[in-house]
Amino acid sequence: MTQVTIPSGRKLRIAAFLAVMGPGVIAGLSDDDPAGITTYSQLGAQFGYRLLWVLVVSTIALIVFQDLGARIGVVTRQGLIGLVRQKYGARAGSFSAVALILANLGTMTAEFAGVAAAGQLFGISRYWTVPLTGFFISALVLRGTFKKAERVFFILSAVFISYIVAGFMSHPHWGAAIHGMVVPSMPFNRDAINIATATLGTTLAPWGLAFIQSYAVDKRLTRADLKLLRADVWVGSALTGIIGFFVIVTCAATLNHEHITNITDASQAARALQPLAGTLAKDIFAIGIIGAALLAASILPLSTAYSVSDLTGSPAALDDKFDEAPLFYLTFAAITVVAGGLIMIPGVSLIWILISSQILNAILLLPLLAYMFGISRDKKLMGEFVAGKRALILYGAIIALVAICVLSQFWFIFNL
Amino acid sequence: MKRPPVASINTVAKRLVGRSDLLISRKSVRDSLVSLAGLIGRPVVDPDGREIGRLVDVVVRHGEETYPPVTGLIVKVANRKSFINGARISQLTPSSITLSSTKINLEPFSRRPGESLLDADVLDHQIVDVDGLRVVRTSDLYLAPFNKEVRVVGVDISFVSFLRRLFPGSLSRRPTPDHVIDWASVASLMDSHGVVRTSGTRSALSQLRPADLADLIEDLAGREQGALIEMLDPDLAADALEEMEDDELEGLLRGLSAERSAELLSRMEPDESAEVLRDLDDEHRESILNAMESATAKQLRQLVSFDEEVAGGIMTTHILVVKSTVTVADALQLLVENRERESSDGVLVVDSKGKLLDHIQTVELIAVDPQSLVSELIAKPFPTAVTIDTPIEEVVEEFSNNRGSSIIVIDEKNKPIGRILADDLVDALSKNRGRFSQSGVTRS
Repeated sequence: MTQVTIPSGRKLRIAAFLAVMGPGVIAGLSDDDPAGITTYSQLGAQFGYRLLWVLVVSTIALIVFQDLGARIGVVTRQGLIGLVRQKYGARAGSFSAVALILANLGTMTAEFAGVAAAGQLFGISRYWTVPLTGFFISALVLRGTFKKAERVFFILSAVFISYIVAGFMSHPHWGAAIHGMVVPSMPFNRDAINIATATLGTTLAPWGLAFIQSYAVDKRLTRADLKLLRADVWVGSALTGIIGFFVIVTCAATLNHEHITNITDASQAARALQPLAGTLAKDIFAIGIIGAALLAASILPLSTAYSVSDLTGSPAALDDKFDEAPLFYLTFAAITVVAGGLIMIPGVSLIWILISSQILNAILLLPLLAYMFGISRDKKLMGEFVAGKRALILYGAIIALVAICVLSQFWFIFNL
Repeated sequence: MKRPPVASINTVAKRLVGRSDLLISRKSVRDSLVSLAGLIGRPVVDPDGREIGRLVDVVVRHGEETYPPVTGLIVKVANRKSFINGARISQLTPSSITLSSTKINLEPFSRRPGESLLDADVLDHQIVDVDGLRVVRTSDLYLAPFNKEVRVVGVDISFVSFLRRLFPGSLSRRPTPDHVIDWASVASLMDSHGVVRTSGTRSALSQLRPADLADLIEDLAGREQGALIEMLDPDLAADALEEMEDDELEGLLRGLSAERSAELLSRMEPDESAEVLRDLDDEHRESILNAMESATAKQLRQLVSFDEEVAGGIMTTHILVVKSTVTVADALQLLVENRERESSDGVLVVDSKGKLLDHIQTVELIAVDPQSLVSELIAKPFPTAVTIDTPIEEVVEEFSNNRGSSIIVIDEKNKPIGRILADDLVDALSKNRGRFSQSGVTRS
């Protein structure tokens, strides 16, 4: 007689967690894209361990709003942009969608730029790396099923371990790092406020917020999964912060120590690491950039496609065929092709695209957070999951913080 | 059901467009269409043309009439929202509403049963497109005077109309009748009592395959899900529920009343219901079981108590049992009475003590004289039977040895208590495989 072994409760729980896991980890880690790594590198290179607390605050904000986004997605079965249209009207929905498309296009260009720059560290031309990347992510989304795509996203996420390795190889001053994390101090100058705002903005990105909600809808997660999904979101957001931490301490221990503070992109940080922490550290850091860019470059067009479909109310699911969801796939293709094309133009200066997409992201972040705040307290939409007083105070506090950062950054931009 | 009346779901059946009795097809109506989206925020004026306030929302009543009449306007007067009775409307144009008298009662608005707010509850909300089998969004609604009242006559789900609304000024108010779907082909379920029962759309819904319906239900969230279920014929709803994913179903039941859940679960195949009930928490399960007829509840309680990994946990208890002493005609009669059930492909014959003797196919019964006794048909091959606690693996073995379409489950006294059909086994196995492969946990 065959004996059936019924898995123990613990095993089952882990199994259930793994089945639900994905949205939080993927959305979180894709915030650590090349632009994010650049920002963290700058923070570490310019200010050492001193501003690590900014990352802690950003991570908390990320946890809180990703958690809210996941909850809204599961409870309402609708993406963020669709809900904005429903609750705040056609113009609000369209404004958010158009701003998101433009900002995502800019960010996507930045991801390709990241791939190109990191490829050049290994001596590979951008005319190879960029088309290959575009081909890879299109094939992933167009050919694969939801499950397959998610698996690849996970494998890409594993690349982030390289930052932890690089962090240890740089022998940071752990005591100073912990001090910087828990004791807030803020030098009152333009650079410090700029980098603090950029850190908050790159961690809590609009497309990430839109993505987690739509992805939870596409994954057909239900209220029964909500507990596990929240665990997933917390783990994913915390990992995002941990990766950021290691990037900052790597740069603090090496670049800041040697007073190399003028870092303008992540690959430059990798190159600067070479004489200080060895060729291996440089290579590991560069591989991390490529993995980060690939993950974010897969998620960004996906997030955009979800949002556009959501606005129009047309179907959007990774398991749909092209003729079932043409708008979804066309948006995906358009974002990928246009961003890839921009990078390929010989001698093009991308700096204005990158800066304007960052500004657009900052402009967009505030209303999106405010819309989420409004949705979270809407009893008609959220039912028993409507936000309580304490949650609303927390959301409000984070929105106020973001508002202060965004406004002060604008103040600096227009007072150049 | 005690949920507050609220607008929640509308259903569009485009295949009904083209019916000649539709209002939209009348020229007088087509020419007087007013876009709701364009009207919101426009002035409400008295007969002398003086502005009273700005339109905030339009209140309609859903009832017997196909085209819901406007019962009132919500108007912002001096920064306060007030209600104006719909009977006061004398003229409706795309850019303004004129009232019939200068004396106006401004009352505070409170929603009466069966009423909904067009802007707050319907516009830009999700509706079910039965024809396209998907969930879409309302781009616009159209009002027109008809039968002495202003009524909702059409709905628009096109993206073009959505874009039109983004334009400033009068461009945003121009109707685009080509994209309008007549309200008669829209069933809108405005509260949990299902006030609107447009026959056309209910039948359009009932023509859907249960699996498609299950997909539609899964695409909607809590309140809308409940509303769609309420709208369906209970048997069809039960069929659709059987097609839903376990997690989805669990979430859905949480949103329904215990009575409604009980009704639906009673109509599902017992093994499917038991599987759902098993996953619920104790309190919720008991409240549903208590709302059922006691016989059904008792049967389900027993099924729920079995482990999913053994025969008892996956069997259906719906079996047709006859004593060997009855006539073939009686057995056939029983089959006819239960023809709706999937397990009605034959009868189980038992002796006077209720012990299993044989499984006799319908074909065998038809082939003989109706007045002969069932006992005469008992012959080899005898059916395969397993006990309640037989592990699934062994059930599979039995199936592959015998190549039958079902296996009978007996208790320790040899009495038949259920059957396992091949599809139950497929469900049980695929469910396990899905769960274990994702986690990498293997079974030894």
